[in-house]
Amino acid sequence: MTFSADRPTMIEFKDVHKYYGDYHALRGINGTIKAGEFFSLLGPSGCGKTTLLRTIAGFEDISSGVIMIDGKDMANVAANVRPTNMVFQSYAIFPNMSVEENVGFGLRKDPRSKEDKAKAVAEALEMVGLKGFGKRAAHALSGGQRQRVALARALILKPKVLLLDEPLSALDKKMREHMQVELIKLQRQVGITFILVTHDQEEALVMSDRIAVMFEGEIAQLADPETLYRRPNSKKVADFIGTMNFIPAQVLSETGDTLEIDAKGLGRVTIDASMAPPARGESPVVGLRPETLTLLYDGQTATERETEGIIDEVIYFGDMTYYDVYLGGTDVEVRLSMRNVPGRPVLDVGTKVRVAWSPSALVLFR
Amino acid sequence: MKKAPILRSYTLVYLLFLYGPILLLPIFAFNDGKVVAFPLQGFTTGWFSEMFADQNLRIAAKNSLIIALSVATLSTVLGIFAARASVRYAFPGKAPLMGLIMLPLVLPEMIVAMALLVVLLSMGVPLSLFTVIIGQVLICTPFAVAILTSAFQSLDKSLEEAAMDLGETAWSTFRLIVLPLVMPGIMASFLICFTISFDEFIISNFLGSGQPILSVYIFGQFRFPAKVPSMLALGTVLVCMSIILLGFAEYMRRRGIAKAGGKDSGGFL
Repeated sequence: MTFSADRPTMIEFKDVHKYYGDYHALRGINGTIKAGEFFSLLGPSGCGKTTLLRTIAGFEDISSGVIMIDGKDMANVAANVRPTNMVFQSYAIFPNMSVEENVGFGLRKDPRSKEDKAKAVAEALEMVGLKGFGKRAAHALSGGQRQRVALARALILKPKVLLLDEPLSALDKKMREHMQVELIKLQRQVGITFILVTHDQEEALVMSDRIAVMFEGEIAQLADPETLYRRPNSKKVADFIGTMNFIPAQVLSETGDTLEIDAKGLGRVTIDASMAPPARGESPVVGLRPETLTLLYDGQTATERETEGIIDEVIYFGDMTYYDVYLGGTDVEVRLSMRNVPGRPVLDVGTKVRVAWSPSALVLFR
Repeated sequence: MKKAPILRSYTLVYLLFLYGPILLLPIFAFNDGKVVAFPLQGFTTGWFSEMFADQNLRIAAKNSLIIALSVATLSTVLGIFAARASVRYAFPGKAPLMGLIMLPLVLPEMIVAMALLVVLLSMGVPLSLFTVIIGQVLICTPFAVAILTSAFQSLDKSLEEAAMDLGETAWSTFRLIVLPLVMPGIMASFLICFTISFDEFIISNFLGSGQPILSVYIFGQFRFPAKVPSMLALGTVLVCMSIILLGFAEYMRRRGIAKAGGKDSGGFL
């Protein structure tokens, strides 16, 4: 990760609440977004992520709390004077204007000369890869092109923060993956703070320096993608990000640095205290990602631990195969993923297998 | 499914009953005879010249034009306010309020006219073109609201937010984004209100205090058999104007929806 934590703060939330009538949409948001960061608000629909984005833009008032942008309280600052610009989910391209009129719309009150503005529009269009599209009618553009126009229109004003509301959700899968990379490149090029709202955890992991996972109006975890993936701080976050196997466990003993646990089907294992987020009073389970489990073929031995199992289900993906395996003669079923490389035949349902795993990959939720 | 022949004949009879009489208008307007009956007597444009020479008819046409332009303008402006409010904002009592605004669509016009007449007379307001305008605005506003609501509904809210986000105020956003995009709807509303007002009879008759107004004047002229053919000539002119106006209004409405990238949902034609 290229992000460094010592960058100055761009946005700060202090105990932000938002009510719609009786509905409590934002329930005490705290946190900071750094300058130049690619930040994502990730969560299922209705978690408040879009509401939070719109409070930054100034489209929604907050019921209580403080939002600071670049050190200034935004309490009485209207949307049209905030140092933020937004790329809307629908792109909101003005249908009665050409591409260049759309992109230059924000420059209306700019004191620069007509020629300078035209140059700025041309540069913005070139930056998003739409050189020469200026004269086209806005309604004649494809979805991907509309999005680029929306980007150019927002970036031409050189905002301190660019807000992106599910900008890729309307695109097909190929285009979406392409635009993910384009957006990352663009963000590095312009160095502006990007805040992305998405419900797609993969998209958030791919694009972000840091991610705030939101559930029911609260930030459940705010971390970089790797931390979020490897050390989720709750079962809920672990379940939302990627695939996670949950195995019932018992905590046997606990010292300051390590915990000794007994996980059903895996046996006794010692884990590092850093892999056990603060207790929530839930019944203990250990989480294990599918790719941290490996099927052992004949002649292979585990470097750390191994457990016997029986294949219950085989799901073939082409490059990968997913196996659902009952562990150690118990009813605990885990999913594991294997790359399909030469010398690794796809195994059948019912095959007795040995599964290798590493204690350091276990996360304890309790 | 095979079409039943009886339904087909029914449709034909229905359409003939609806439009047949209108087709007779131009036929007798060009007929060289004072009696409106077959057989036709020969071709003439004399009834048109007689119509254009009629001094009272000119005054009536002028009055009707004044009324129709005023009514179309007022109804459309009121329609813009009402449609905007009903599409964009939630407020207590919205549903009954909009219902009351739309009620004159189904309320017998006679009742509106009588009630207004009683109130205006008891208030001591002299009947004039102005009172006709007030009454007709009441009738036309629901049409304006219906057309403009569809225009405002096809407008994506985020377009306005985008304009605000790009530095515009609420007013300049309305002027630069909302107004151009709903303009075809405004034009359509204006034209339809104009047409409705132009041939409106009941309110013109009740609240017009005997001032020459086209619809009332035409009705009056039918008492004199000699005047009937020139009235048919006038009718021919009015039918042509109505078709042109309504066609133009519908064209504007459809263009507006296409421009805003929306889907067509209703309309009058």
